[in-house]
Amino acid sequence: MQPLSQKEGTLFRQIIKYYESKQYKKGLKAAEQILRKVPNHGDTQAMKALILNSQGHQEEAFALAKVALKNDMKSHVCWHVYGLLYRSVKNYEEAVKAYKFALKLEPEQQNILRDLAILQVQMRDYDGYIESRQKMMQARSSLRQNWTALAVAYHLAGNYKQAENILETYEKTLKQPPPKTDLEHSEAVLYKNTIIAESGDIERALEHLNTIARANLDRTAVLELKAKYLLQLDRKAEAEAVYRILLDRNNEYRAYYDGLEASLGLDRSDEGSKEKLVEIYQSYAEKSERTDAPRRIPLDFLKGEEFKSAADKYLRRMLNKGVPSTFANIKALYAEAEKKAVIEELVLGYASGKQANGSAEANGEPSDRFEEAVKYFLAQHYSYHLSRDLEKALQYIDQLIEKNPKSVDYNQAKARIWKHYGNTQKASETINHARELDEKDRYINTKCAKYQLRNNENETALKTMSKFTRNETVGGPLGDLHDMQCLWYLIEDGEAYLRGRDYGHALKRFTAVSDIFEVWHDDQFDFHSFSIRKGQIRAYIDMVRWEDHLRDHPFFTRAALSAIKIYLQLADHPELGNPNNNLDLDKMDAAERKKAQKKMKKEQEKREKEEAERKAAAAKKANAKGDDGEIKKEDTDPKGIKLLETKEPLEVALKFLNPLLEFSPKSIEGQNLAFEVHLRRKKYVLALKALNAAAAIDPENPKLHEQVIRFRLTIDGLKETDPKVSEVLNASFKLGPASTDLKKFNTDWQQKHSQSPSHVQSALNVRHILDNSSKAQNETDLKKLLELPTITTEQAVAGLDLLDEWQSEAGVKDSYRQAASEKWPEVTVFQSK
Amino acid sequence: MDIRVLRPSDIPHVQLANITNLPENYFCKYYLYHAMSWPQLSYVAVDVSRPQKTPYDPPKIVGYVLAKMEEDPADGIQHGHITSLSVMRTHRRLGLAEKLMRQSQRAMVETFGAHYVSLHVRVSNTAALHLYRDTLGFKVDKIEAKYYADGEDAYSMRMDLEGLKEQLLEEEESTFGKDEGEAVGDEKSGEGEGEAGKERKRKVKVGRGLGVGDLVEKNEASAAA
Repeated sequence: MQPLSQKEGTLFRQIIKYYESKQYKKGLKAAEQILRKVPNHGDTQAMKALILNSQGHQEEAFALAKVALKNDMKSHVCWHVYGLLYRSVKNYEEAVKAYKFALKLEPEQQNILRDLAILQVQMRDYDGYIESRQKMMQARSSLRQNWTALAVAYHLAGNYKQAENILETYEKTLKQPPPKTDLEHSEAVLYKNTIIAESGDIERALEHLNTIARANLDRTAVLELKAKYLLQLDRKAEAEAVYRILLDRNNEYRAYYDGLEASLGLDRSDEGSKEKLVEIYQSYAEKSERTDAPRRIPLDFLKGEEFKSAADKYLRRMLNKGVPSTFANIKALYAEAEKKAVIEELVLGYASGKQANGSAEANGEPSDRFEEAVKYFLAQHYSYHLSRDLEKALQYIDQLIEKNPKSVDYNQAKARIWKHYGNTQKASETINHARELDEKDRYINTKCAKYQLRNNENETALKTMSKFTRNETVGGPLGDLHDMQCLWYLIEDGEAYLRGRDYGHALKRFTAVSDIFEVWHDDQFDFHSFSIRKGQIRAYIDMVRWEDHLRDHPFFTRAALSAIKIYLQLADHPELGNPNNNLDLDKMDAAERKKAQKKMKKEQEKREKEEAERKAAAAKKANAKGDDGEIKKEDTDPKGIKLLETKEPLEVALKFLNPLLEFSPKSIEGQNLAFEVHLRRKKYVLALKALNAAAAIDPENPKLHEQVIRFRLTIDGLKETDPKVSEVLNASFKLGPASTDLKKFNTDWQQKHSQSPSHVQSALNVRHILDNSSKAQNETDLKKLLELPTITTEQAVAGLDLLDEWQSEAGVKDSYRQAASEKWPEVTVFQSK
Repeated sequence: MDIRVLRPSDIPHVQLANITNLPENYFCKYYLYHAMSWPQLSYVAVDVSRPQKTPYDPPKIVGYVLAKMEEDPADGIQHGHITSLSVMRTHRRLGLAEKLMRQSQRAMVETFGAHYVSLHVRVSNTAALHLYRDTLGFKVDKIEAKYYADGEDAYSMRMDLEGLKEQLLEEEESTFGKDEGEAVGDEKSGEGEGEAGKERKRKVKVGRGLGVGDLVEKNEASAAA
């Protein structure tokens, strides 16, 4: 290390203080002062680099940090800073290397050791983490935190025994038991208890729990664990007692009722248990007038007359109170057709007044509230997909609205009915009307924006959202929605753009969704140290485990599927990547062409306007900061044009595909798209893997059928293949027949599924692929499918997409749309524009 | 609807419920900060009867209460604070908000020895005011002018938890009595319950100074020292 004079030494310590308190300007000034006297002082340069980095000058920071290192290779400060810079750009491998260099120079530097340890656990390098935590514990063994952290390291690595030992060893150093109010102690011993249980020794876990239970501050956790252990050990009578205590504390938690049932040896599917079950739930229902669970749960297992009478009682009670969520609470029962029929019969009975006694108020007058609740229930009932009759739904809701024109709920329900009709236009208009009835309610505002997006009104939707966003944020309302990680909006917005074939904007949104998941993954970083200090270890372990499978969330899956579809389009049609040429007007029908031209003109005007606005805003926003003081850069590619211009769409697609396959392998759409991506990448073994995975999920999947045929055609057409690859393909491709049989294979398959629109569509597509002279026949047959009674509007739309794929004439598409429109006059997408 | 304690994996859907219903929104890390600091205090209402669409369906959260202990109480008294509470419009009138609040308050007393709980509510939000004042027993402490970003005033409300504390102590005793000291713990300790109660008041540490500000930026440079 290069020595400094006393004056400069003081200044250097000040730089560190300034940096810590984020007084960057003062820090830089002090650094300059030193560097004027000692121009090549490595440590000062390193600190300056660190500050520059915090100010957002990343490149400059890295360059200076390198100079610092050259000037002082033997300084742990320089190496540490170098590591911190790498950490800040999430290059964790390089950061670890730099920290390790620093530690070689100064093995006792606890700060560096801590930074290394945090990186190791973030990267799930548990062996490395154990090693670092061991060193930290040895350096300061008086601190309980250091012992707990080491135990956490062993626990996460799966070494329960050692984890328990570490905690035990620390406990033995305690001369007297800590006071009852010591939260850190209370949590540490409960943490130890969960480790014992996870190791599989429930007997000992229970024994230990009994010694700590009385004093422990987390009463709920102690009782839940105790009940669980007792049940696992088959000590049913004791388990029952604890589950009853838990239910006295919280009688709205099904897990407790399940536990109680199990500890009483009851089985819902067993007739012999019924009577006792009914009795238990009745006893809990009688305990409190306000409890729902014990009244609702029996509807799940009761059958026949018993069900009918219980459902009658439940429905009357809820409808008499006018509870608007009654339907939401009951609809799960519709999975059983018999129960659905019983409920419909009951509620229709209330409506016709035949059994109106339930609706009587004390004075004998029928209650308006009951009648309204009944109609509202029926409107929702006939709107729900398992009991759908949209005309009836509309009748009921119209009656309600006539009486209560200002009801947000009723108008929203009406909008939902239009949505189910497929009339996105009317749905959007109706919900906007509902929104205007209560402009202070964000819920209805949110739903309104969603319906607008479903109707492809991206700009209007954003305007709606902006009524509740913080519009002073950098990037305006959209910027706020990104900051607040409003995933549903980004996904719906992206999907609307995708339907309008605005791939740039669409990719932009799906990429933003993926970025937010990245942020959520990084969010755990600070908690590796924070949680150890706070001492809430069980919660921390829960979080780490959640973060490990974060991306199995359906929001990620949805965004990933759409993004991959776009990248496939870009791979097949590279011209789409050129924004000036992304609309092939010749291939469009008249209506589409007109729309596209209009849109292009509008966009041109908008571009010019935006350019001017941006220039004006750029000056203003030069120093724009978010709430958290973070510097926000303005988005230089708001339309996603740069995303579209990628030269390697398939490789970029992997960024979405790989997590999708890793975390949601049971998503059949994911496997379908994996095949498409890998086939185009000529990674045939991976493509085959996707086919086999899809077949394991659903061997009759329509997309799979088409892909099997295409795969057969592809591998048969291969000129040269690696013999090893051929061997794998031949050995593992059992799904498809030899090429000669393809037509027959397809015809047989079509016959087998002749009543399923999706399957027939797939077979027609295969026929087209095998012989494109069959195109006219395919088009006719595709249209004929509209006559199948089971066909849904979604399937009809899929047919329209197929015509696009076959590059059918505009007239063919128009006639398809017209036929669909005759069948479903309310569906917006089929209406001629 | 189940009422149960919030788990980290619930956070995306709590966040979704929040931004759907309320104008005050937070990023994931702020929810994590609550869940990692006071994991006992936040509760969710879950629609468990919803049929699964995929093997990866997360629980459908229809209501939540996000709660904390005041890090640095100005009055020096341990107390809880409700950061955010909301129930989906589709699930109103089921008493979910009240049930969520009661669970959270219980945990505030049991785990952190809270003496009272405070919250803010928009002066225009009569429905919430009704819940807090008439159903739960909160009292308006003062009006905070321009508390919200849009300039609206807030009622600062609080509810005393001493009564709940008494009731919980009685429950504990009856539990121990019924189970001969085995159900929830070892034999009775020597100290009197009253004393334990008092002690609880003073000594619980709630991690002062470890606020979210501390989370956002770690003091990396101290490393370089």
